[in-house]
Amino acid sequence: MKITEDIKISDNGFVFNSRTGDSFNLNPFALELMKNIEAEKSFDQIKTEVMEKYDIDDLSFEKDFYEFCALLKHHQIVLQDNPLDFK
Amino acid sequence: MNKQKITLAVTGLNNTDNPGAGVPFIRGIKESEAFDARIIGLVYENLEPGIYMENLCDRIFQIPYPSSGSDELIERIENIHQQEHIDVLIPNLDAELFSFMKNEGRLRSRGIQTFLPNLKQFQEREKDKLPEFGKKYDIKVPGSINMSTLGQIKDLEDKYNYPVMIKGQFYDAYVAHNEEQAKQAFHTIASKWGFPVIAQEFVKGTEVNVIALGDGKGNTIAAVPMRKQYITDKGKAWGGITLADEKMMELTRSIISKTKWKGGMELELIKTNGGEYYLIEINPRVPAWVYLAVGAGQNIPEALVKLALGMDVQAMTKYKIGKMFVRYSYDAIVDLEKFAAISMNKEI
Repeated sequence: MKITEDIKISDNGFVFNSRTGDSFNLNPFALELMKNIEAEKSFDQIKTEVMEKYDIDDLSFEKDFYEFCALLKHHQIVLQDNPLDFK
Repeated sequence: MNKQKITLAVTGLNNTDNPGAGVPFIRGIKESEAFDARIIGLVYENLEPGIYMENLCDRIFQIPYPSSGSDELIERIENIHQQEHIDVLIPNLDAELFSFMKNEGRLRSRGIQTFLPNLKQFQEREKDKLPEFGKKYDIKVPGSINMSTLGQIKDLEDKYNYPVMIKGQFYDAYVAHNEEQAKQAFHTIASKWGFPVIAQEFVKGTEVNVIALGDGKGNTIAAVPMRKQYITDKGKAWGGITLADEKMMELTRSIISKTKWKGGMELELIKTNGGEYYLIEINPRVPAWVYLAVGAGQNIPEALVKLALGMDVQAMTKYKIGKMFVRYSYDAIVDLEKFAAISMNKEI
């Protein structure tokens, strides 16, 4: 899963898709996740870091993360050739 | 750099909720590094807001509607020319283009330059000929039927599923979700704009637009793609943002190259969720959002005037992505004398 080159992410959480003209507001945690995805960290690496930092269980994180990724894909923010590829 | 002094006549000062491109066009020219232009505003109505905007036009003249006859319109232009020595005339309204194109030679012989598409280019892109245009130039367009009787609504039901777009030949478009709505739209449009009424297949997706300028030899001199962010109930952009969309740019260059388009244009496209582009309309002049292109780095008004004057113009290929325009309304306080002058003398 890769953030497309058309996406610009500001430090305050404003996301702009220069190809579609869409813009989105991220909350601080979504921004943190996006920065991790942008850095091409693996799913396991992101999960470990998040679970160390926040009080969240394994299953809840996975469910929320997949939902977030599906949203990113729906809005053409990320490219994902393989639907099972969340790495 | 010494600026060239010119006298430029511009129409379309109707900066209303259905705005013409005259005012933003003049703003572009005022920012030009090449021209020091004396601006002659040409208006049809005495309440066109551009008449009353400060520091916009040096002179204003009222001209007769083209519907009262091309000769009357051109004679009035010639009359104004005797006083003002117009170098370039830029018409910005669809309804007047035909008259100015037809009289391009006559105007040129008087010393008035224009830069307009030729009649063939103008006519082949008309809404009722869009399927043929798509076929000829290998461009995806929605299917459509030209209707001149109410009975043809049955034909459209055989061919397309609802919703369908019901459009006037020159202006107006309605989405019809059933037979009743299609009939209602047919009557509304036929009474306002005449026949044919066009029933167009509804393509689901996002509307995107490109403003472009062709040099008449197949070269794209300027092109900026935009997405409307705020649309009025008349379907007009009240806010928009420039896009980075290479497919839209390729499509624009291809259309200009194949048609050898001369002059300004606006492409109206629908981008489907599958990433396909359908051409729904070509407007044969610059749109009212032309100043966004200026703000994004392509001074299309300046380039258009240069082309009209026969000057060499380098193609502009870069523009700022993510530049936005936000339109607003503004109440100008006007003295009665100005209104009286345009109403009584037909000039200011």
